[in-house]
Amino acid sequence: MTPPSQLNASAVADRLAEIVGDRHVLSRQSELLVYNSDGLPGYRRQPRLAVFPGTRDEAIAVVRLLADEGLPFVPRGAGTGLSGGALADDIIVVGLHRLKEIISLDIDNRRATVESGVVNLRLNKYVAPYGLLYAPDPSSEAACTIGGNVAENAGGPHCLKYGVTLNHVLAMTVVLPSGEVVDLGSKSGEHDGYDLRGAFIGSEGCFGLALEITVKLTPRPQTVRTLLADFMSVDEAARVTSAIIASGIVPAALEFMDGPTIRVVESSIYAAGYPKDAEAILLIELDGLEAGVSADLEVVRQVCVEGGARNVKVARDDAERTKLWQGRKKAFGAMGRLAPHLIVQDAVIPRTRLSDILETIHAISEKYGVVVCNVFHAGDGNLHPNIAYSADDPDESERVHSAMVEIMRACIDAGGSITGEHGVGLDKIGYMEAIFSETSLNAMCALRSVFDPDRRANPGKVVPVHSCREWNAVASARGAASVREPMPLAAEPARPSARSRNLESDLWEDR
Amino acid sequence: MTRTEAVVTTVREGVAGRTPLRIAGRGNWLSAGRPVSAAKTLSLGDDSGVVSYVPGDLTLTVRAGSTLAEIERVTREHDQWLPLDPFGSDDGTIGATIATASAGPLATNFGLPRDLLLGLEFVNGLGEVVRGGGRVVKNVAGFDLSRLLTGSWGTLGVITEVTLRLYARPKVDRSFAVSLEGSEKSTTALLRTVAASQLAPFALELLNGAAARSLGLGDSAALLIRLGGNAPIVEVQLKALSQVARTEEVEQSTWTEFREIDRGAESVIRISTLPTRFLGTAASILADTQPRVVISINPRRGVMRLVTSGGGEQELMTTVDAGIPVSFPTDGQGAGTSVIFEKLPPEVWPVVSPSVVSDPLSRGIKNAYDPHNILNPGILGD
Repeated sequence: MTPPSQLNASAVADRLAEIVGDRHVLSRQSELLVYNSDGLPGYRRQPRLAVFPGTRDEAIAVVRLLADEGLPFVPRGAGTGLSGGALADDIIVVGLHRLKEIISLDIDNRRATVESGVVNLRLNKYVAPYGLLYAPDPSSEAACTIGGNVAENAGGPHCLKYGVTLNHVLAMTVVLPSGEVVDLGSKSGEHDGYDLRGAFIGSEGCFGLALEITVKLTPRPQTVRTLLADFMSVDEAARVTSAIIASGIVPAALEFMDGPTIRVVESSIYAAGYPKDAEAILLIELDGLEAGVSADLEVVRQVCVEGGARNVKVARDDAERTKLWQGRKKAFGAMGRLAPHLIVQDAVIPRTRLSDILETIHAISEKYGVVVCNVFHAGDGNLHPNIAYSADDPDESERVHSAMVEIMRACIDAGGSITGEHGVGLDKIGYMEAIFSETSLNAMCALRSVFDPDRRANPGKVVPVHSCREWNAVASARGAASVREPMPLAAEPARPSARSRNLESDLWEDR
Repeated sequence: MTRTEAVVTTVREGVAGRTPLRIAGRGNWLSAGRPVSAAKTLSLGDDSGVVSYVPGDLTLTVRAGSTLAEIERVTREHDQWLPLDPFGSDDGTIGATIATASAGPLATNFGLPRDLLLGLEFVNGLGEVVRGGGRVVKNVAGFDLSRLLTGSWGTLGVITEVTLRLYARPKVDRSFAVSLEGSEKSTTALLRTVAASQLAPFALELLNGAAARSLGLGDSAALLIRLGGNAPIVEVQLKALSQVARTEEVEQSTWTEFREIDRGAESVIRISTLPTRFLGTAASILADTQPRVVISINPRRGVMRLVTSGGGEQELMTTVDAGIPVSFPTDGQGAGTSVIFEKLPPEVWPVVSPSVVSDPLSRGIKNAYDPHNILNPGILGD
């Protein structure tokens, strides 16, 4: 692998331009600023170059050129990720957002084949007239790409019932970091041999680039009902969540917002009509055949009332339903009102532990004097505690950081995972050793080496380099200088840098 | 010594002596897959039991040697279930089910083993204990070793523990048969109506005469459907179905019998294709009088299963012929049709499917996880 210091950027840029055209290669520092962070603005890394192929063949040619030159690179979709996973530290960004063709739609078999850069919402608008939808719905769906979804194994509010990306991708055409093009999975849905498609999904850009993706489409449900239940205590709402899950009903979505979040949303342009004096609300959606939904609706209403809900309101029409959802989906954007910066976590806990973990989070926030807003996918136990703060205040930054580490520790101790849908990337790499043993991390490294023997694709992400046995062996064989640890890898996670951007933008919907 | 450590010891001994191991659960399915020459069998049949079960979380962690029957018993106490009903019997182990990615009729609604598995522990071919995934319902931490191991037939690691997603038992769970004794044209019309309907069955299978007969459903082809959920949802679906077909309620045990339909079979072949490809062809496939070939088609998943017994190559050819109407060209992963051989006479394997892991990525993974080729060597081919 060519160390970045020896990269003749301008010569490489010229050769990339021969493939994709001058307009689609960026090499000026000012132009590259846009690509120095993803949706998690606390992290910044300046890329050396960025290249944006416009066709599948161009993408393959770009990857082959990089392979020939031994150059590391970072794949990027729309850059809406929340793990720092798309950051390129002085290396090359390969952006796939220009690959945006919907290649084929098979209505009867409910399948679509799309290029990597197709945006979720666009695919959904395209298939809606046929009574179909693409189920994974990250809240960044207006901007994020299917290729990015594949890299992150993206979820969204409705994956509670419908499953995440890995349950909806049937087949992919992938270019490996070597430039070799392979087909993974089967458009029919089943195949024998190893589940290479399954291994690739969620590999965070470390195994190569998905160019074409065949996804399963889901029939639009006959009926959708959305309930808003409000509570005077967080604990009641948490217990009701657990009770709904335990009842066996699988809502299409079950979302939780606490008091601080409600009040921020209600004072923003995204006001959804949530009761401002409530300490928690649950947004519960049921869908399916009309007859079944009506029966479940009554059960859920009863569970809410018995659990202490003050009011349970059912959206009367699509307009009301859309408004209720808007408040939820734009909650992160609304938090821009509180402070210039925001940090968010993505831990998942067992659903019976919601109540006590929320209590713990509250205690931690008091201890460090920070305001934690909780807005999350309660039905899955997928927490998104977030803290609005000013990164320019070193003391506050320090307290926020300590609080976040402590919250993550509590979630891990409860038997949880460090990330449910945002990915490990750079942000959570320091926690990997807290949940996986050395042999497990090494097995992950070994898998990565099969897809990318030279570890050139998204280096330094997901699995700490120092825990990889084979890699270390290779490194010592090549001379230590050829392997760079991309960031300090202490037991604690990487610290967000103080340089961040303001968050109140449309991209800052909650993912 | 923990039970996982015992597996580690056995694998390490295998590595030291370069002695290949045949990995087995309760040994029910040893005739499936390509022949394995192994000096020793590593059986996990006794390594059973619940590791962790908090019913409110709807997740269950069990040792890999737990049988499906045991999981059924434990979860039923809390009115929950693991909706995974692979062909074979409930006497099979969950480890073997995951290792072979075996699914059954319920996959129509609940998905494949890969969709129900949340995490696992396994011992790789170096005798190292590895964990992938976790115990919560949503998890993207690290590369997806759970999917990688599912369907790897023990060749990458010996699965010792799994965590699964559970569901609440449906309030109502009923099954019905529809006899398809009419003309091919009327059967096709019925299938098209069902395909276009809002029906969301738990399971839906089309059976040829041989299959229907073995389940005591008469001599004609039949449609077998399972409707579950709350009472209104079952009622509304049953009503819709009854408007287009004459339904007869059958015992739930019909499904158990259906899953055991391969007992003593010589060959089991599964063809996975685009579901619509069966719409026009299913009626003629089912009507075909192949008394010794048991055929079932899952029109929702686009899967046809062909089972023959007591035949060798001749019988196999007959079986494959029966599938010709949908056997479109296949060229491995990525193609629109996959022919999956579950069980064949030993001498037939090298002819029809010498290997499904010969591509460079699969070879690389095998070499990384089991460099000495100790684990089930050859079961997926070389």
